[in-house]
Amino acid sequence: MNYAMSLDYQSCIDCKACEVACKEENGVQLGADKQRIWITQVETSIFGQPSVSLHPSQCNHCLDAPCVGVCPTGSSYFGLGGIVMTDKDLCILCKGCMEACPYNARFVDDTHVAVDKCNFCYDTRLVNGEMTTACQATCPTKVRVFGDIDDEESDLIQMLKKRKFYVLKEDEGTVPKLFYLLPEHDDYFTINSVAKDTKIYTWETYRPIIEKAKAKRKAQWKATAK
Amino acid sequence: MEGNSKINLRKNGLNLKLLLTDRVMLISYFFLAIAAFGLVEMIYERYFLLSATALDAGLHPASTEMAAAMKEAVFGSGGEVKRESPWSLYIVNYMYMIYVGSGIIFLVAVAELFEVEIILKPAAGFLTLGLSMVLAGLFTIMADLNVLNLHWMVLSPQYNSGMWLMLPLYMVIIPLAILEVYLIVNHQKKWIKKVAFLIVIVALLVEFVEFYIQAKLFNMNSARHLWTSYPLLPLYFMISSFAASIAIMGLYSYIVCKNIILMYTLERIAFAFVVALGSYEVVSYLFIDKKWAQIILFGSFKYYFYLYILLAAIIPAVLLFKHYMHNYFKLIASLSIIAGTYLGKAIFVYGGNAYPMSDRFGVGFEKYGEYKEVKDIIFFMPPLSEIAIVIGSVGVILFVYRSADLLFGITAMQKIDLK
Repeated sequence: MNYAMSLDYQSCIDCKACEVACKEENGVQLGADKQRIWITQVETSIFGQPSVSLHPSQCNHCLDAPCVGVCPTGSSYFGLGGIVMTDKDLCILCKGCMEACPYNARFVDDTHVAVDKCNFCYDTRLVNGEMTTACQATCPTKVRVFGDIDDEESDLIQMLKKRKFYVLKEDEGTVPKLFYLLPEHDDYFTINSVAKDTKIYTWETYRPIIEKAKAKRKAQWKATAK
Repeated sequence: MEGNSKINLRKNGLNLKLLLTDRVMLISYFFLAIAAFGLVEMIYERYFLLSATALDAGLHPASTEMAAAMKEAVFGSGGEVKRESPWSLYIVNYMYMIYVGSGIIFLVAVAELFEVEIILKPAAGFLTLGLSMVLAGLFTIMADLNVLNLHWMVLSPQYNSGMWLMLPLYMVIIPLAILEVYLIVNHQKKWIKKVAFLIVIVALLVEFVEFYIQAKLFNMNSARHLWTSYPLLPLYFMISSFAASIAIMGLYSYIVCKNIILMYTLERIAFAFVVALGSYEVVSYLFIDKKWAQIILFGSFKYYFYLYILLAAIIPAVLLFKHYMHNYFKLIASLSIIAGTYLGKAIFVYGGNAYPMSDRFGVGFEKYGEYKEVKDIIFFMPPLSEIAIVIGSVGVILFVYRSADLLFGITAMQKIDLK
């Protein structure tokens, strides 16, 4: 198993239902800055025409996650299916993982005095046999598709085989597993929401990168949560 | 009690009256009181400030505490640790105290190795001062960490983590420094002299490893390009720390030793280090990622950066270039280096976080919601508790040093001929 997620962010309407569902489902601390998942905006304009891109985001569950390597107590670790997990009981609040994360995906949960982040609803849904995350289940425009990229028959792989996509901050070498689907049928939106030097992938071209990174860190994956 | 016949020094002569009335101890209590205030505030903010989850809100809808927690979530400061800038003044102070304290221990070890006699006499004082600074650094980082979970550093160690490697390093370096002081205090015993050489070699190795690991800690944060693109980071840490260490040793000599030859020696070494530090900064910014260099050299950090260069390199270089007989020049140069290098550490830590990570898509900085402003620079003022703890850490230095001094006569050791 190798869990990942695609985001058809062109369909995002900024309703923030995913943020609310995540907080409800996972008992995330209240507060605007205390988000496991979030939607941000980037305002741009070309020739005076304003444009707003909506960017849903969360932990990228990187295959070569820098946050895991810096943790001194094993509080940050690879769980089942390569999900980057946090064990709040082990966290000493050194904040090294927060500094190591290129995506600002981590925050301090003041209710536990420990670092928190998205875990693909591992302890609230996946352990119960469900194969959807709260954010995916609640999204009215079906932005997110969660699944197992080792399973050729999964909806996620079927989607990735059809659509081109890109990943965030590829140059950092973290091999993220959030796949942002390239916008379709709207060149103006594409120009405004995708950087010019962004490398666009198909599943066939990204798969070897995944396999290589997985081979490097697979030995650290734990079968169950701590 | 043991007596020392050479200067009639009475060791182990510490008493309660002296502890309460000594001038340095009184100053240390003042700073420790500030630290205590900070600790109380910090404990309240971290462990007792009301915070809640959506589940709590569902289970206790009518609770007044719940209402207060929700009010805090909406109108509060957003918690003690900021998501965009997790390392703050605690880390600045920790770095400064640890690096400079270790630097003093390292330089004294080198002096011992090469038998620089002028350093050997006040060596016990320098080492105690270095050790005090290391302990002040550890005090600061203890306040920063969640001490309730600290036992997991021992029970669930991650040997590959640079952060974890600091633990065995301190477990080695602190007893080593204490042992070095002990050896110097008891220098007349021949067998200890033989062991001293070995300890000095081990101390040197440990210091090198410490600077390497501490640089690795920053270098591993791959997205913070100020830290990853700084050329030869361990070397930079060593040069900047040694410059500050020498300045503090100079200040100590001015206040305690008043030895002209020692002060002259330190003055020449300090000059070499400030020139090296200034040159290093000039060269390093040719290599540092332009996004970070832009912020520090020409953006929001520019006045602080130029002040840092002025205080840490230019003013001391001018004052120390020529040897002046008057010691005031050395005093001003030392104070300038100490303030400048502290500012330099602050720029290093805060500067590393200054460029927002929110340019995830490469099309511009993101903002959360229509009514929020776009942050193109990240800086948060530390809370009052953090500032108080950092200021209070000076009290730890004074308390540890003076206690050891009163107990073992460290200052008086300088009057003993150690040959």
